[in-house]
This record gives sequence, C-alpha cells and structure tokens, in this order.
Amino acid sequence: MTTIAATASAAAGPTGQASPKRRRRRTWPVVLLLLGPAALLIVVFILAPAVYGAYLSLTNTQLTGFAARDPQFVGVDNYTYLLSNSEFLASLGRTGEFVLYSAIIGQTVLGMTAAVLLARPWVRGKGLVGAAILMPMVVPEVVASLAWASVLSNNSAGTLNRLTGLFGADATDWLQVVPLASVVVVNIWRGIAFAMIMFQAALEDVPGELIEAARMDGATALQIFRFVTLPLIRGPVFLYLLLTTISTIGAFGLVYFLTQGGPGGRTTISAIYIYERALQFSQIGIGSAASMILLALVLVLGLVYVRLAKVEV
Amino acid sequence: MKRIRMIALVAAGTVVASALSACSGGSEDGGKDGSDGPVTVSVMEFQQSRIDAVAKLIPGFEADMKKQGKDIKVKLVADPLTDDQFKTKVTQQLIAKQAPDLIDIGDSLVPGWAGAGYLAPLDDYLKGWDGWDHYYPHIKKAMVRQDGKIYALVHDTGVQNLFYRKDQLTQFGIDTAQPATWDDLISRLEQIKQKTGGTPIVIPAGTAWGGSTWTEGFQPILGGTDKNYYSLETGKWDLKSPGFRAVFDLYHTMYSKGLLPVQDLENPNPWEPTKYVKFPEGKIQVSAQGTSGWKFDWGPQGKAPIKGLNEKVDTWQYPGLRSGDAPFGWSGLGFGYGIPASSPNKDAAMLLAQYLSTGKPLADQLVSSGAASPRDDLADVKPYADEPKLLQAGKDLATSVYVPTGDGAEQVAQAVAAATELIINGKADGAQAYDAFLKNATDLLGPTLVKE
Repeated sequence: MTTIAATASAAAGPTGQASPKRRRRRTWPVVLLLLGPAALLIVVFILAPAVYGAYLSLTNTQLTGFAARDPQFVGVDNYTYLLSNSEFLASLGRTGEFVLYSAIIGQTVLGMTAAVLLARPWVRGKGLVGAAILMPMVVPEVVASLAWASVLSNNSAGTLNRLTGLFGADATDWLQVVPLASVVVVNIWRGIAFAMIMFQAALEDVPGELIEAARMDGATALQIFRFVTLPLIRGPVFLYLLLTTISTIGAFGLVYFLTQGGPGGRTTISAIYIYERALQFSQIGIGSAASMILLALVLVLGLVYVRLAKVEV
Repeated sequence: MKRIRMIALVAAGTVVASALSACSGGSEDGGKDGSDGPVTVSVMEFQQSRIDAVAKLIPGFEADMKKQGKDIKVKLVADPLTDDQFKTKVTQQLIAKQAPDLIDIGDSLVPGWAGAGYLAPLDDYLKGWDGWDHYYPHIKKAMVRQDGKIYALVHDTGVQNLFYRKDQLTQFGIDTAQPATWDDLISRLEQIKQKTGGTPIVIPAGTAWGGSTWTEGFQPILGGTDKNYYSLETGKWDLKSPGFRAVFDLYHTMYSKGLLPVQDLENPNPWEPTKYVKFPEGKIQVSAQGTSGWKFDWGPQGKAPIKGLNEKVDTWQYPGLRSGDAPFGWSGLGFGYGIPASSPNKDAAMLLAQYLSTGKPLADQLVSSGAASPRDDLADVKPYADEPKLLQAGKDLATSVYVPTGDGAEQVAQAVAAATELIINGKADGAQAYDAFLKNATDLLGPTLVKE
C-alpha cells in the first residue's frame, strides 16, 4: 500500500496536484497486476461454478441415462423434493451434530485450553506439547484417516482395542458401534491445532497489566478468563468459530475415508449425501440443489457469527 | 508506466494461459485413425487380476497388428479401484471427453453410459467381424440395449449362484443337496446357526454394498421369480410387479431369523469381512456369488484364497421363492469392452477389443478373472480348457435366467439399497421396505420410466 501511494505521489510531479481520476488511471495496471490473477481465479474456480451449480439445481440434469442428453428446467422441484426428503433432512441434522460436537465444542474448547496452558510461564516442555498438537494438522487427510482407521480397527490388533483389552474388554468395532462419536473425535484431533494457533495469537494481544490488575483485585483464574480475557479475544474467537463451522460443514474426506457415511447412514453428513446423490447416483440436479441449500445455511450462520462478534470480514 | 502495463499484461496472459492449459486435456496420441502415423490406443482396467492379464497380452496385439501393417501401440491405464470409484471416475472422464479409448466395463454400467450417449455403438464393427458369429445367440441378444444397439462387446460372463461350504455342512450333518425352495434353504441355515451361533448366509444388502446390492443380491432372486419388472420394449419399470414384495419379505425373513451378518453388511466395504474373511474361515457358510468366486475371490491367486477350494466349496442354484418357481442360476453379462463416443481412435480400439475377445488372449483373461466364455469356440483353448468349473458355468449359461434392463437401473438399485438398509437396521419389515422402495423408486425414476 505504501509503495502504491509513493508511486502515485511521485507520478503527480513536483506540484503534487494530480487529480484523483488521473491518479486512478495511472495506478490501474498495478492494481490489475496485484488483484487480477486472484480475481480471475476466484471468478473461474469459485463464482462461475457456483453460478452454474445454482443453474443446475433448477434442472433435472443427470450424469447418466437418457435424461443426461436433454436436461429440463424443473423450477424449484429439486428444492421441494429435498426439503421433504427425510434422508436429506437427517443428513442436515447429523451435520449439525458433527459441527456442534467436533468444531464448536471440541476443537474450540480444547484449542482454547491448549492455548491458555501454553501461555502460562510455569508450563514446561511447551515446544514438545505444541509440536504434538500441531502434528495432526500437518498430516494429510487421507493419511490421518488411514491412521485412525487402524486405531479404531475392529480386530484385536486395533490400537484402541489393545488399550481396552488391557482392562479385559472384548474387541469392539468402534466405527460400527459409535460411528458418529468416532468421526467427531477424529475431527477434534485434527482441528485442535488451528484453534490453538489462533487463540495463542489472540491471547498474546491481551494486555498483561489488565490481568495483573484483576489478579490484585482478588479475581480467580477462572474469573479472569471469563471476565477479562474472553471479552478481549471475542473477535478472534468468533472468527475462528466462523471458519471452523464453514470448514466442518463442508467436511468430506475424513468422514468418507473412515465410514463412507455408514453404517446405516449414521455418518451420512450433508457433504456425503451430496456426493452420493451427485456423483454416485448421477443426479447432479438434486446434488446441486442440496449444495445450494447448504450454501444458504452457511451464509446464514456466517452472518450470525459476524453480527455476534462484530468481526470485519 | 508502460513497463508496468506490460508486466500486468504478461501476468494476466500467463494466468489465462495456465488456466486454459489446465482445463485442456493432454493428448499422448501419436496419431489418429485415418492418419498415416502410428496410433496409440489406451485401454483401462480397474481390477488387479484384469490389469495383470491384459498387460501380458498387449505385446502380442502390437506384434499382430504389425504383421498386418498397422502401427498401433497400446497404453494400459491400470487404475485399481472399487466398482463405485470406477464408475464415479470414468463417468467424469466420459463427460469431459477424456476417457481412455477402450474401457473394460461391468455390464451394469452400460445402460446408463449408453443412454447418455457416452459410448459409441459397436454394431457396424461387429457385423464385419468373423468372431461375432461365434457368440452364443442368447448372449448376443442380451447385449442389445433399449435403443436396439450394442455398446459393449462382452468378453466374459458368469452364472450367479449360492456358493456353500460343503465341508462344513457335511461335518454338521446337514443336507447338501440342491434346496428346492427358500423355505428348505432357510431351514438348513437355521440348523447351521444352531450349531455355530453365527450368521450363516451373506447376500448383498443395504447401502454400503453400493450397486451390487441390486445386481448381485436382490436382482438375481427377483429375476428367478418375476421377469416382468422391466420391459425392454417400453423402457418402463413395473414397480408393482409382485416379485419385489416377495424378495423384500425374503430379506426380512432372513434378518428376523438372525441369518444375515448385519453388522458386516454395514461395514464400509462389506465384502471384506464377509466374502474375504468369514466365508474363507468357515464362519459364513453360504454366499451369493458369481462364477468369479472360483478364481477372482477364492482361487489360489484370488483376493482370499481357500485351500482345497474345489473340495471344500460347491454351488447351489437359487431355490424357488414363490409357489411354482424352480431352482435357477442367474446369468450376468460380466464385463465388456466399450469405446467412448468421443474417442479419436475407435477403429484401433475396436481391433484391440476384438483381439482380447478371441482365442488364447480371451482364454487367458477368463481364467485370470474366473469367468465363462460368451463364445462357442473356447472350450478347447487352453488354459480355459483346463478349468472344469468355468466350462460348466459356460454350459449353465444357456439355461440361466437373465432379465436385461435399461435406463433407470441405477435409480432402482439406489432405492433397493435404501429399502434393504431399512430391513437390516430393523426399521422395516418386508411390506414397509417395499412401500419405502416404491415411493423412493417412483420419485427417482420419474413418470417417464415407470409403468402406470
């Protein structure tokens, strides 16, 4: 920004009297250079597909069969179908549970706990603990899924079954018996690192003297956190909640690799429902409509968060 | 300022060029049909045994073509995938006109891809091919799709039966003769359950098994008791055909008596704990299975080899379900070679398909994948000639049941999977599952594909 201002100022000549219109004309190549590639990519890979998806959602487009040759405009039929379809509504409900337990409660609470603990001067081995928490974020999604598939494996060689076996328990097929809880745990494990990093950065901005003053006034550690620290980091917390909610609603790979939406559809969250409809069952019109509904929900949630936090996005 | 504008222009140009480059498909063809240069034809296989078999045959084809004065090279696209992954991936490739020139396709995918116009009709090629005369008439007839054309050259077939552990049933003192009815079979399964405490039979059910719940589980039983559920003439499904309800009732009976391995059927890969672990271990005694069971699944080089397979395992035909039904085997078209309509190398691809569907190359593939020949001139060709189980399956084809279907098979498969899922979850009996199926399938198929 400084460079642009300096360039524009220099271009105005010794009098510095260049009109805003002239200045804009002179700086547009730089603006185009800096913003153009990103804007083009956004238009080509985000906006255009989204608009095309919205169009598809109003048609009965299929990927296979005779219907694929001649898609028809069906208005809001796909939306009507989905909003009265128990499977889709159930997938939305499961997505809500998944987001609530894994992102909003799990990742946020544990990420905050880790950040607060690592901010304490008396904690030893911070580097080691921090690295351990960061590791899940570094591991590729497929590798993480395979690792957890091994941990939760149904036979006695599964890591968790080995642990429970020490207490005499029989081998359990965790992904069959408690599938949603299992994928929630895995998603928490994977997301803590990002939460911790964001909250650590926010905590560093909390003035130490405020904490000190509260302490001198006799506030307990919990009271200091609740009434001093938390209000001061409200913005970053809500920003994190916004980001993690969006990314968790769109989560696909982790759940798909572990359970493929099963057993009995018990982990068929919306992203998996959309994948099944659009790509496995070739109903791209219905899949697109489901995506649009999900997009609308995310936008509403985003607005709520932004309002609550008064975060500038 | 001019310099900045130039940089901006170059940057924008680079991005556009990169985007266009990324969006365009690379072509590795050395030449196209009709040109003088060499042609490289790509062929895709997605099952390891087929990959291995075809890889060995490619040099022979190239040499054969060279003798005929044709410079054709083959690129094998070896991509081990599950059935559902293969379908999802290749559908995208076909839409994007980026699919390989020749694709080895399971028959259940052909109606959907042919209907959408992704596959080229092969009739003109077949008319001029001497090998076509050796195809069994009933196989030729079954290959014809709803619009009267052929879109995949079938090169292996098989018969779906009930494979059972003869060694265990004999040990338990349970009759191993062909059961005449499902009541008879269920009675034997209950005896097995009393002896072992396990779940003695696996038949694909539920959503985890994907499209195979329909093609390998439900449809064979349905076809044996009711052949009127689809009309090739009208292209419509009769969802009220009585066989549907009867098969849902059968599934519920097996579920309610604790005969099905419910938890395993809900595994993301349900064939693994059932067909590849428990049947070989003798913890499941009966399995719905095609001819490929003798090689691809349980053969010495199969997914889960069973030592002494031919002595330990034998087959029953499906028993009759409703009054008057006789035991039957269900024939499937297996795999066939299809050529994308967008392929620039159709002629060369067809030459490869014909080569792979003839004589020794075909015999090698049949033995590798465990399939029966669709042709009448393979019985003496080794190594196929040395495989009595496969030869028998080839003979059984003539008397097996097959109901060709067309557009909408995927939607029916989806509705059947969802309805059987309700049964194995204990949420529906046969009648309720049928009602759910009827509503779901009617919605999915739409008015043009459902008989009033």
